[in-house]
Amino acid sequence: MTDDQKILDSLKDPSTKELAFRHLISKYKERLYWHIRKMVMNHDDADDVLQNTLIKIWNGIDSFRAESSLFTWFYRIATNESITFLNQRKKRMMPGLNDVNEYLLENLESDTYFDGDEWQLILQKAIATLPDKQRLVFNMKYFDEIKYEDMSEILETSVGALKASYHHAVKKVEEYVKTHDSRIDL
Amino acid sequence: MYEENDIEPEFMKRPKTNPFRTPDHYFDTIEDRIMGAIEHEAKKKTTSTPGKIFQLLKPVLGLAASFAVIYLLAYYPIKYFSPNSMVKSETTNTSSPEILDAYSFNVSLIDENSLVSTIFSDETDTLSEIKPDELLAFLSTEMTDLEIYTEIQN
Repeated sequence: MTDDQKILDSLKDPSTKELAFRHLISKYKERLYWHIRKMVMNHDDADDVLQNTLIKIWNGIDSFRAESSLFTWFYRIATNESITFLNQRKKRMMPGLNDVNEYLLENLESDTYFDGDEWQLILQKAIATLPDKQRLVFNMKYFDEIKYEDMSEILETSVGALKASYHHAVKKVEEYVKTHDSRIDL
Repeated sequence: MYEENDIEPEFMKRPKTNPFRTPDHYFDTIEDRIMGAIEHEAKKKTTSTPGKIFQLLKPVLGLAASFAVIYLLAYYPIKYFSPNSMVKSETTNTSSPEILDAYSFNVSLIDENSLVSTIFSDETDTLSEIKPDELLAFLSTEMTDLEIYTEIQN
């Protein structure tokens, strides 16, 4: 029996549910946080989305059918929560901004928990200009090195479509980096 | 078809480093914060049923209040300044007790005898004295209005 299966069994028992969920959080919190953080870019937003994600997991854990792995399900919820959060923020707080990308650029520049150098800032800005789906695929492939097959299950998209998204994303990032940092010899 | 090995831009040759960081000990307290938030949510759900009903009815109540305000704003000006209501108010004035008293006072001034004599007086006899031949001749004269007027005046 896998560790996740043991946790799921404990979650079904009301007397052990809370303890099992705490165990689940401590096992996946960092991976979920970094996945969300790369999507929303700012720590405070990532903290909000992580909390929403974990509450949603708690509310839905009883109906989890184990058709996919626990982490695939978590990843899917975290992804949806991140995109929903960004769309809501854009509508409510930044009516002057044209799209999510502008919100992300502002978010990135105002984040006090960004320690990258100039090159990393340019790279993150390039990623911030990508459409949601391409940004997601780029982060999952480039930083997290998740296989296309696993990504396909998480994002419920075909492998071919994911490869095409990644291809477009890489081209756009490369173009952005070229035009914004002349010191980088490409 | 595109294969990932086809792509190898220069920026990918740089080391992948995570430029983001978190506040110190951020991950240490997540479990407690999440369980606290879950407990808070559960309490809110159990205690806020009337609040929830109000939240559900809020748009309907808002709409009803808007209609009430519009009705009040539109009804009273129309009621007080429309021509019909002004006629009504004038009618009401003429039927007021003071005016009725005034009319009854005038009627009371008329003497019964003078009233009877007026009704049965001979003034109408002047009309009965006109003979049918004269009337026919008068009507067949084809006089213009102006000629009739000057004849009456003379």
